Amino acid sequence: MIPPTNSAPPVAVQFPPKELKKECEDILSRYPTRMAACLPILLLAQKHYDNWVSPEVEAGVAEYLGVSDSHIRGLLTFYAMYNAKPAGRHEVWVCRTLTCMLRGAGKLRDTALGCAKAKTTGEVGEDGKFLVKDMECLGLCEVAPAVFVDGEAHVDVTPEKLTELMEACD
Amino acid sequence: MGDAVNTIFINGTEYPFKPGQTVIQVAQENGIDIQHYCYHPGLSIAGNCRICMIEVEGNPQPQISCKLDCAPPPWIKEPLRVQTESEVAKQGREGTMEMLLVNHPLDCPICDQAGECHLQDYSYEVGQGQASTTTAKTKLPKNVPFGSKIVYDAERCIKCTLCVRFCEEITETNELSMQGRGDEEMVVMTSKGEFDTPYSMNIIDICPVGALTSRDFRFKSRLWFMDFANSIDTSSAKGVNIVTGGRNGTFLRIEPRYNASINDWWMADEGRVAYKYVNSPSRLETALVRDADGQFRVANWEDAISAAAEALRSNPGDILLDGGCTLEEMVLAKDLAGAMGKNAKFAAATGEGDGWLVTEEKGANAKGAELLEVARAKRAQAASVLVIEREEHVNASMREKSGAVVVFATDGEHVPESAEVVFPLPSWAEREGTLVNIDGLAQWMERNPAIGPNNLPVFVEILEDLIGELDDDYAWRGADGVRAEIAALPAFAKVALPWQTETPVGAGS
Amino acid sequence: MASKRDKDGRYPETKILSKNFGVKDSWTLKVAKKNGAYKNLEKALKMAPADIIEEVKTSRVRGRGGAGFPTGVKWGFVPTESDKPKYLVLNADESEPGTFKDRYLMELDPHLVLEGCLICAYACGLSTIYIYVRGEYPKSQERLWGAIEEARKAGILGKSVMGSDFACEAYVHTGAGAYICGEETGMLESLEGKRGHPRIKPPFPAVEGAFGCPTVINNVETLAHVPCIIENGGQWFADMGIQPDPDNPRAMGSSGTKLMGLSGDIKTPGVWEFEFGITLRELIEQYGEGALDGRKVKAVIPGGLSMPVLTADELDVPMGFDALVKVGSGLGTATAIVMDDSRDMVEVCENIAHFFADESCGQCTPCREGCHWMEKIFARIQGGEGTPADLDLLERLFINIEGRTICALADAAVWPLRSIIRKFRHEFLAKMPGHEDAPASTETAGVGAS
Ligand SMILES: Cc1cc2nc3c(=O)[nH]c(=O)nc-3n(C[C@H](O)[C@H](O)[C@H](O)COP(=O)(O)O)c2cc1C
Ligand code: SF4
Ligand code: SF4
Ligand code: FES
Ligand code: FES
Repeated sequence: MIPPTNSAPPVAVQFPPKELKKECEDILSRYPTRMAACLPILLLAQKHYDNWVSPEVEAGVAEYLGVSDSHIRGLLTFYAMYNAKPAGRHEVWVCRTLTCMLRGAGKLRDTALGCAKAKTTGEVGEDGKFLVKDMECLGLCEVAPAVFVDGEAHVDVTPEKLTELMEACD
Repeated sequence: MGDAVNTIFINGTEYPFKPGQTVIQVAQENGIDIQHYCYHPGLSIAGNCRICMIEVEGNPQPQISCKLDCAPPPWIKEPLRVQTESEVAKQGREGTMEMLLVNHPLDCPICDQAGECHLQDYSYEVGQGQASTTTAKTKLPKNVPFGSKIVYDAERCIKCTLCVRFCEEITETNELSMQGRGDEEMVVMTSKGEFDTPYSMNIIDICPVGALTSRDFRFKSRLWFMDFANSIDTSSAKGVNIVTGGRNGTFLRIEPRYNASINDWWMADEGRVAYKYVNSPSRLETALVRDADGQFRVANWEDAISAAAEALRSNPGDILLDGGCTLEEMVLAKDLAGAMGKNAKFAAATGEGDGWLVTEEKGANAKGAELLEVARAKRAQAASVLVIEREEHVNASMREKSGAVVVFATDGEHVPESAEVVFPLPSWAEREGTLVNIDGLAQWMERNPAIGPNNLPVFVEILEDLIGELDDDYAWRGADGVRAEIAALPAFAKVALPWQTETPVGAGS
Repeated sequence: MASKRDKDGRYPETKILSKNFGVKDSWTLKVAKKNGAYKNLEKALKMAPADIIEEVKTSRVRGRGGAGFPTGVKWGFVPTESDKPKYLVLNADESEPGTFKDRYLMELDPHLVLEGCLICAYACGLSTIYIYVRGEYPKSQERLWGAIEEARKAGILGKSVMGSDFACEAYVHTGAGAYICGEETGMLESLEGKRGHPRIKPPFPAVEGAFGCPTVINNVETLAHVPCIIENGGQWFADMGIQPDPDNPRAMGSSGTKLMGLSGDIKTPGVWEFEFGITLRELIEQYGEGALDGRKVKAVIPGGLSMPVLTADELDVPMGFDALVKVGSGLGTATAIVMDDSRDMVEVCENIAHFFADESCGQCTPCREGCHWMEKIFARIQGGEGTPADLDLLERLFINIEGRTICALADAAVWPLRSIIRKFRHEFLAKMPGHEDAPASTETAGVGAS
């Protein structure tokens, strides 16, 4: 059956929050249109709001930049670095592309999922601590396999090293 | 540059083109059909569906005709030569069709668009009706509400982005975007849950497959059972061109019809749903005459006409017309009033307009009335004859205050207490005639025989019969005679009348 | 050309772009200036813009982003008369798998990159530089921002570039993870804050690019070449590398030097700078030190992921635009991915197909549906459920995908996959019940990126 209509729209957060105001204005000053600031401002917003962009944040950013919230949704689901769902406390990217695969990325993926207590990539583990994401080539192929933990690159990674890295996260 | 190439060979025949025209446009102008999904003449070119492939001689790869400029590159001094039905062209289309079908649900038998789906048409045409795949199809959401009027099916959607472009380029309201990427791409709507634009339902028409359906029309009828007629939207005075669709007396839907000088391809949602009253259970189907004890009894047409004439002889008065009446009807109403020594007036609502296709004037033929010198009625208008199709034009209080004795009404609920004789009035979709829109363009409205009760009398004929009863010298003119008179009126000297001229409608005004 | 090798037969490195790579704090303005940064910009500012474009044309430098388009010609397309602002968008998206050369330039010599951008901007009359850096390169972003700040403070950037009346601003724009934003028009959409859907051309960016204005788009490495071209003249650059073939107008030669790289099954992966002309085998054996112990090189994609593979027998080809096309592959980004004899080519194909399916922007039917379909077919073969008919189906899909889409991503998906199933057909058949003993195929011809 068709649901009657969409559920109630989210209540937009007040965006930007005080802490981000200056940076947002700085970003806006670089471009001839407000829409052009979408990508950098969404990265900023994601960092600020627990590493994900909730429907409320989405609506707030949309309002601020004068674009439709569906436009923002389109961006969040197009670019791999955005999270449109709650993302856990730590985010681990495991490169899955050819060079890393040749260099053992498959094992790293399993290791990461094990540490995260998650069944599959793209979903937060049971304890809500980690989000493991499959990423395509991270541009670190000469030192493959590569992973990122919370935005920081790690290279020549072994399962042991990855376990260590993830265990060091609180 | 006087020697610029200005012709193109399509399938061996040379055609002229205007600068900037693409191959698909010139082909269409010359009756050559090239399949297309993502191309719409009213929207920007996306070139993403890749079905409109043709062969450009000298190029082994098929090219998309919706983007291909008819003008060759400047260093080539020869016209382009393209083929729409060659092996290369067909192979190109088949290749794309196979891709489209790999993830498309094969649920044509239950799809609303069946019969009107370009994918279904073309997949039969290009003979790839069976995608060679044992590959599991990608699962995407079905039955997603897009506001209160539209339902979206992401599996059927071929991601042509026409609907998104409509909301960006035509209404500039941006409610839709694409989301996801790769084969998880689909259309997403604003979380506000409702369209800002009152034109949202146009996306249903332009969707080339059954991915967007109207909640209103869903599953009501299969297309191939319906009858269609070219009519005019009478919910406001813009004269938007429409197609009415009906079956077995039931009015099923309204869709816009292309007219470059009025509405292009579009219409407002309110005009699209302005047919519900036509299917009212209280529609009048017979003539009624009040007998001695004050009760209505069913009468045949002749008896009703003489009873009406009788009533008018003893109660002569003005005629109050629904503002949607045609020119022909207005002329005859004027004559009927004249036979009583009185006037015809029209009533029409006014309301909100949007500066585009919805006018503040709601009387579809208000401009025609002006040209015929039929005045607008006052709020309390005494009349002996009342013609009422739409409630909003002549509301209950106006009806009662009119004191009309002869009433032409579409709906039985609209008959005032004072009525002595009542005739069923066919709705606009069931009548034919001429309307003049607010900008002075005269247009023909076609009757759809599949809509409305059977065997209703023709309104203009009854009017003429009544005049004949009241005026012994009356010479019957017929609707054609009336039209000839209209054409001869000085007020219409500059109006291009649709039945009189080959000039495109509107060209003369 | 044999003369380039030294007496031991070793092909030498030529460090022009990479001259500062080992230098301590090479990314700071202080160190960069000591090594000559911005003196070529100073020289350029005294030249007429048209003369700079002429010099770049003379150099015959071709785009380093993968397509190899002559840079001087591209600059020449920018309308000189235009009342709109004009932009430079530097393609620093570097998301081609196996490619990491631009990262070295951005992290280790950001001032060289900025200098190249400024010379280009001056020559083409561009007022704003956007450096589109992929989101996965935080360090490159940081170093570029650092360089921009330093340059601005030093009067190298801003209202009056080095005291001249040329005004120019530069900003880093951060991507957010999408391969397709490396495609130049996908990048423009992304810069404008939209989904990275490549645009249908024409119009070309030189006429209608970023924000509807004339725009030059070049790769990082391409523009990093420009300062030395100004320093030493276009002819100096043109004399390096591989000369054009006078008999073949399409063989425009490969002038100058190039950052080349190796990754995958190789002893010492890395990036080096050579004059064009080193063979792929020399690169692998002399610089990559060959396959890992006990293994042999089996297949190599010469530049990134998007080019047809070459087998171990085909490696004696010079690294150059035309030479690689001639053997049915392409230079791409000149960073090769090496696979050794322990590799399962079906798994490789599944991985490659997944990449393109994942990264397809989703606009064009053949790419959106086709890439996923191919991935599913490879998965099926890998799972032991394939039949030889699947290989025919793949060949048909290649035909229906290649050359039939808005951008070249779809072609890029077809090229490696088609070459692998043709050159390693037996490995595919070996996974099909009843065809396990298929002989190794010998077919190598007919696989083209041309
Ligand atoms: C799918 C695809 C991905 C691309 N990715 C990149 C990239 O990451 N970096 C790059 O410089 N060029 C990339 N390109 C090439 C660009 O479209 C463009 O040709 C280049 O930036 C032009 O600069 P150049 O002439 O200096 O090489 C890509 C092209 C395609 C079709
Ligand atoms: S819903 Fe229809 S119009 Fe919209 S993208 Fe899908 S197929 Fe096209
Ligand atoms: S070829 Fe693929 S990536 Fe390129 S525009 Fe089309 S769908 Fe997008
Ligand atoms: S393939 Fe993993 S970093 Fe390039
Ligand atoms: S109609 Fe031409 S590509 Fe879609």
